[in-house]
Amino acid sequence: MAAEGLMISRVALLRLAIIASTLLFWEALAESGLLFRDVVPSLFKIAHALGHLGANADFYANLSATAVEVGVSLAIGGSVGVAVGLLLGGSRLMGRAFEPYIHYLGPTPKIIFFPVMIMWFGIGPGSKIAMGAISCFFPVALITAAGMRQIDQVLIRVGRSFRASTWQMVTKIYFPALRHPLLNGLRLGFGVSVIGVLLAETKLSNRGLGFMVMQSYSQFDMPGMYALLLVVFSLAIMVNSLVSQLGGLEVPNH
Amino acid sequence: MSGRPLAEAKWLPATLGLGGLASALALAELLIRLDWVSRFIVPLPSEVLVSFERIIVEEDVLSRFLATAGEALAAAFLVTLIGVALGVFLHRHRLLRSACESWVAGLAAAPLVLLYPLFLVIFGRNALTIVMIGFVSGLPPAILKTVEGLSGTRKVLLDVGRSFSLSPAQLFWKIQFPSALPVIFVGVRLGLMFSLINIVGVEFLINFGGLGQIVNELAERYDLAGMYAAICFVILVSVCFFFASERLERWLLRAS
Amino acid sequence: MATPVLRVENIVKRFVTGSASITAVDHVSFTVAQGEVLAIIGPSGCGKSTLFNVIGGLAGSDEGRVIVEGRTLSGPDPAIGMVFQEESTFPWRTVADNVAFPLEVAGVARTERLKRVHHYLELVGLKGFEQHHPAQLSGGMRQRVAIARTLAFGPKVLLMDEPFAALDEQTRLLLGDKVLQIQQALAQTTLLITHSIAEAVQLSDRVLVMTYRPGRVKRIVDIKLPRPRTAEIIGSKDFGLYVAEIWNDLRDEASLGMKDAEAKLPQAE
Repeated sequence: MAAEGLMISRVALLRLAIIASTLLFWEALAESGLLFRDVVPSLFKIAHALGHLGANADFYANLSATAVEVGVSLAIGGSVGVAVGLLLGGSRLMGRAFEPYIHYLGPTPKIIFFPVMIMWFGIGPGSKIAMGAISCFFPVALITAAGMRQIDQVLIRVGRSFRASTWQMVTKIYFPALRHPLLNGLRLGFGVSVIGVLLAETKLSNRGLGFMVMQSYSQFDMPGMYALLLVVFSLAIMVNSLVSQLGGLEVPNH
Repeated sequence: MSGRPLAEAKWLPATLGLGGLASALALAELLIRLDWVSRFIVPLPSEVLVSFERIIVEEDVLSRFLATAGEALAAAFLVTLIGVALGVFLHRHRLLRSACESWVAGLAAAPLVLLYPLFLVIFGRNALTIVMIGFVSGLPPAILKTVEGLSGTRKVLLDVGRSFSLSPAQLFWKIQFPSALPVIFVGVRLGLMFSLINIVGVEFLINFGGLGQIVNELAERYDLAGMYAAICFVILVSVCFFFASERLERWLLRAS
Repeated sequence: MATPVLRVENIVKRFVTGSASITAVDHVSFTVAQGEVLAIIGPSGCGKSTLFNVIGGLAGSDEGRVIVEGRTLSGPDPAIGMVFQEESTFPWRTVADNVAFPLEVAGVARTERLKRVHHYLELVGLKGFEQHHPAQLSGGMRQRVAIARTLAFGPKVLLMDEPFAALDEQTRLLLGDKVLQIQQALAQTTLLITHSIAEAVQLSDRVLVMTYRPGRVKRIVDIKLPRPRTAEIIGSKDFGLYVAEIWNDLRDEASLGMKDAEAKLPQAE
């Protein structure tokens, strides 16, 4: 036990050392003026920009715009994904007929659908929600289908032997057994729908965090861009680990 | 239960899948011809099919494809070389690994592609930005899977090596590394998928380079059928890449 | 009996867990003569595998020495060739390359390597499978590859830890025959660690029975069955008598082990 404690404190120490030396190196680079102005801005400027962001009502408006888009896209893309996944995982025929398409379309760049989504849903939040929904549909559907197939057949036979109704089968057997794949799908779906929404916002929009990033780019406000990116990354990582812990999932490892 | 023998038939699922796809396209064609769906929003599937030839000839798809392939190749080289090297390094330094592995896992969950405006400032609007985005987004899985593969080496295989008095370097290169290779390959493949997705995505976003740019240009020209055809082409290319890498993985792993 | 090739002297191995110290192997000594097969048998938990690792040099001991032909060993040594209980072939190498592995590491020239690989694969009956990968072979064949790999290095002593544990009964008997045949052909000094009484009697000249925790030498039984032997021997009356005799020695130790295991389980009030 003592050795374990020692190991943990050494890890913490090493982490602190890494963070401290990175920050020091960064600051030295910023002060040296070796790189173009503000490509590596001083930490104080970034901290200042972070503070500015925190006090800025605009930021919260944009954050909530993005959050709403991500939330709605996750609800739409996720529920369609779960429904399709249940269908494909539950029926051998359907799975073998249609799952290959989803399997091979999954890892394609979704953002190129954006011009189509603009035509279908306009330049407002609609097209961003569509991008997020398309992005998260694929992993959710694939994970749900795989989860369905992995349910221990004995559990289903037990349910049937007790003459459970279809509704009871779904709520008492399938969903509890699918808890892990569903949460894992939610986690991966969240990750890709954030990317879909934010990228769409950087391409064409007038609100949202993606829009703010582009704004700071066009104004050449590098400290502001670093601050924004830090906030976006931290939020994404936090939500991800929150969902992982919620389901007692393994540390994300693809 | 009566569906089972039918589902066993080899031709049925494939036919059902292709049939479903074909009838969806036919339905779209019908709805548009009946003017229930505006042809200014969705072009006729038949028009899209016809524009394929136009896209390939007029837009010089081949050289665009080569541009994207070149960027992807450069990113793949960096991801493999640096990702595997970092993974090996993390694995060999236990303390460093305990300190950093969860950070790398965190990065894998972050929308790294959003760094592209930053990279535009640092590297300029050129192929280097695109390659770097591909590299950065493909790096975490390559590192994580390398570490996972190396630490997954079965103890008995290392014992065999030790019983033959292998040096630590021999133990690593002759036993640990080859035994980890299948898992490392999975990581590299995942990394390359992410690289390709983000490379095409950024080409589209910054309107520069290969296949992604065609889609953007055609959209800006409001060439509807052409744009749909270009999207289909991009999808086709990435599906082919994914399929080929899957086959390659299976072929490489056939021994173990 | 000829001069001993392997001499194991007063091996003691303790494990420290927290504040307690458990003696796993307690002053174990024995010798193995040139061309002899000695089997070490004991209940699970008697420290057999610990002894295997100590003699093979993969683990250190707290007291005692391992001597081969008058030379005290320190750490893994080419004089002792180990065959492991678990699946230990390299899945990424072909059968021939698996067998060539120790020769490659030792820098043996290619032509000599090929010659020896050919010889030992023929000896274990795997001629014609040179270019197969282990995944294409059965468990028994894979274990033969592992044995050929160890023998190709020309060890003075062949040290095997339950080499047939992962195999089914019939394969085990046939593989036992194969091992007997190889052992006789090479006059290979062999130390076999096992928990199967039948296997110990079938294969060895002497059987060393160990006590349950701490592992000590309880008794050494001479097996005076005729050689060369085959698996047919298990039908003989003498074979049965030896099995019964050893089981008599082992029963108390095994039941001690079982009680220990049961005591460790959490129980309801």
